[in-house]
Amino acid sequence: MENYFIGVLLLLCAAIFSLLFKKQELKLKFITIMALIASGFCVYDAISVFIYGKAEQIFNMGYIFQNARFSLDYLSAFFVVFISVMTSLALIYSNGYLKQYINKGKDLSAHCVFLPLLLASMLGVVAVQNALLFIIIWELMSLSSFFLVIFENDKKEVIQAGVKYLVFMHVSVVFIILLFAILSINSSSLDFVQFSEVLKNNMTLANVAFILAFIGFGIKAGFVPFHNWLPDAHPAAPSHVSGIMSGVMIKTGIYGILRILALIGIPCAQLGYFVLIISVISALYGVLYAIGQHDLKRLLAYHSIENIGIIGIGIGIGMLGLVYNAPLVALLGFGGGILHILNHSIFKELLFLAAGSVYVKTHTRDIELLGGLIKKMPYSAILFLTGSIAICGLPPFNGFVSEFMIYFGMLKGLSVNNLFMLLVMLLGLSGLALVGTLAVLCFTKAFSIVFLGEARSEKAKNVENDNGCSFILPMSILACFSLLIGLFPKQIFDFITKPASIFINITELNQITSLMSAISCVAIALILTVLVLYLIKIKIQNKTDKYSTWGCGYNKVTSKMEYSASSYAEPFISMLTPLFKKVSDIKKPKTIFPKDAHWEQHIEDVEEAYFIKPVMEHIEKFFAGFEKLQNGNIQQYIMYGLIFLFISLVCVVAIG
Amino acid sequence: MDKNYIISALLNIIILLILPFFTIGIIKKTKAFFAGRKGVSIFQPLWDFLRLFKKGQVISNTTSQIFKIAPVVVFATTLFAGLFAPMIGCYSIIEIEGAFVIFSYILGLGKFFSLIAAMDTGSSFEGMGASREACFTTIIEPAFFIILASFIALNGNLTFKSLTGLLNASGGFGVLIIALSVVSLFIMLIVECARVPFDDPTTHLELTMVHEVMILDNSGIDLGILTWSAGMKMIILASLITNLIIPSSLPFGLSILAYILSIVFIALIIGVIESAIARFRMSHVFEFVFIMSSLALVVASLAVVKIYGV
Repeated sequence: MENYFIGVLLLLCAAIFSLLFKKQELKLKFITIMALIASGFCVYDAISVFIYGKAEQIFNMGYIFQNARFSLDYLSAFFVVFISVMTSLALIYSNGYLKQYINKGKDLSAHCVFLPLLLASMLGVVAVQNALLFIIIWELMSLSSFFLVIFENDKKEVIQAGVKYLVFMHVSVVFIILLFAILSINSSSLDFVQFSEVLKNNMTLANVAFILAFIGFGIKAGFVPFHNWLPDAHPAAPSHVSGIMSGVMIKTGIYGILRILALIGIPCAQLGYFVLIISVISALYGVLYAIGQHDLKRLLAYHSIENIGIIGIGIGIGMLGLVYNAPLVALLGFGGGILHILNHSIFKELLFLAAGSVYVKTHTRDIELLGGLIKKMPYSAILFLTGSIAICGLPPFNGFVSEFMIYFGMLKGLSVNNLFMLLVMLLGLSGLALVGTLAVLCFTKAFSIVFLGEARSEKAKNVENDNGCSFILPMSILACFSLLIGLFPKQIFDFITKPASIFINITELNQITSLMSAISCVAIALILTVLVLYLIKIKIQNKTDKYSTWGCGYNKVTSKMEYSASSYAEPFISMLTPLFKKVSDIKKPKTIFPKDAHWEQHIEDVEEAYFIKPVMEHIEKFFAGFEKLQNGNIQQYIMYGLIFLFISLVCVVAIG
Repeated sequence: MDKNYIISALLNIIILLILPFFTIGIIKKTKAFFAGRKGVSIFQPLWDFLRLFKKGQVISNTTSQIFKIAPVVVFATTLFAGLFAPMIGCYSIIEIEGAFVIFSYILGLGKFFSLIAAMDTGSSFEGMGASREACFTTIIEPAFFIILASFIALNGNLTFKSLTGLLNASGGFGVLIIALSVVSLFIMLIVECARVPFDDPTTHLELTMVHEVMILDNSGIDLGILTWSAGMKMIILASLITNLIIPSSLPFGLSILAYILSIVFIALIIGVIESAIARFRMSHVFEFVFIMSSLALVVASLAVVKIYGV
């Protein structure tokens, strides 16, 4: 456990001492190296947890905090490993990515303080077992990520997105404070172990606690209907920060849900159904909206919602498995969910980094302006393709392994003798299948519009070469992780059963491990077959001529005639018209000699358009009435504050 | 090891690789019969294929490596999916639980590559085909999963074996479920293999096409590999249907015969349908594909009713 604390302290030091450096490059290099060392320490401790078992450390912190307990059990250790590794890779990437801003003379001091701080607070959140400290570290995490999001603070939309994110995070924290307040009142303690004793004996309290946790942590994770901050905040942030946020930080929300679930033990059946159905909706909602997006990072942000949904499906199945006493179903559900946390962070970070790599070269995120980049940026293209295949859950990459575990859990769940279980499993199976095919639709679109065909604008045409090593190296490592997990699912399954054993512990797993070995063989054989057949094809094929693309005899095809992202998604979008709000900007050609015409369509989030905006308008109208109280006199405002404090004091005395 | 398994595994491989040409031949022969022509020999598709292998090819300037590797990926994935599919006597070469998930995802990988290869040419025709193909898959795939999951719920067997055995076990109810599943899997076959009335493999009007338009730019050996894979896919999907119909209690020798006959029969039906009706308009194609989803829902509800009573 000491190494873990050394790691966290190193990160805090890095945050402070980075201010001493004058040159921006040095600042970045310093925090990167410090983060790598710190990650090394933390991972070392986490791995020793996997070998020797749980580690724990208690600090006596006086009256307010009582006993501050930090512990690394399997679940925490799992999170520590992937948080450290993923964030470090993103930090390596930031060295290359931020060069464009350094050249413009941008000051990176704040950025270099908050990056290690974010990593340290994420590491803290997953280990701390004390409610009050948890809230403080959680808040530190939200705030430091807020400052990272508003990196380009000279842009208006970035500030807007940042403020939206901040508001959502504080709504989330209200629920989390409420949750811990209720628990600590009932257990008269701040320690998670005491919470667990209360929760296990009181079903109603457990249900209330879980619902509060699901809303509070669900806002962070991005479950529908609390997802609204994601598609704004991710595009606003610089790419490595989006990668960290989407790949790592939102998983702390999942960690919170899992932790509360572990404290509860066996939840009630309705909660399992609730989680599963919300998750199916989240997964579908995320991917449906991703299809309509033309902003590459916004598209990826919607895919985060989808993948959080898939993780949630796994957790829901796990919960139902616990409820109906089907240990295998529970293990597959939780195991699949937890593995998908890891997998998603790998391929999502890879995709965000690759998107950033494209952005650095083209300075646009609008995929309608890109095209043909595979010839100029072959490495980024192949890495993006790897991420795309993985995120669609296709073999032989990692996404398939976790999705298969979830599928297999659902198939096993079909035979649990319960009507609702059967119906929900059918819903989950078809939902997950639909999500898979929609992801294929979305990523064939994204990949082919960005990298294939002909360049659609000057921006894409002027790209000369691929990015350098600091871009390609972290992405290649991520791609290798992705492939390795896909090729050796048996080993990863053995690893993942440990964090899952927090919820359910079974030892008879021969059936699944042999299945995983079979998948492993098939995946390896598939890759080898493709390679061998390709070589044979090259060998035996006859002479190859190059000519322009077939255009029905028309040979002067320009890039304007290519299929665009909107047209690729059109059949699908028009099939599901009622689900979307389309905002079109049309300028029709007029007069006999039309000069310019223009058509543009955006898909707006229905939740934002039909719920959040109207509600916010009403709230704004209501509070506008209080404007009269404002007169610009600060002394008077302080008075208001004192009056409020006095009234609350009176209330507390009166009630207490 | 089961002797029948070894025999059927060997036969499966042979059937998977060879039979595609003859089914296409049979379909062509049937169409010729209805058109009052003599038609080409049923070996013709095989000769065509061999001829394509020897030919040179023309590749678009726009394309990248993706375009060259995609046909191989499509072929390999179809072959691997074939290893999981139940064929003679419902034996599949790799028989594991949850096989249908792996089966569909491997086919999905092939589809992914065929879509990006089509987009790689930068042609708006091929973009159109890819966009439609991706869109129709989103309707087909969940329906397929619902049907297979219903059978698993009914039989409690997580391998592809769950398809069989329902016919003799559960009387009229089973017959109904099987009949509906056969129809919806047949629709899937028509959509996935791009046959009339969903798509027309012989047309040259690009605007109306789905699958065929995606391979407009492929020629020579690539085209050969792609047609071969398409034929294999047809055999695989037809095998799913035959295993629903053929009773599992048949002796092994007879089941080989029954399997071959059913495949031929399915090819004949496809030929008859292609002679009898014209290709649907694109707007009607959606309606046609949605039939499969509706049928899948009916199958699922029947299965639920069957398990839990009314």
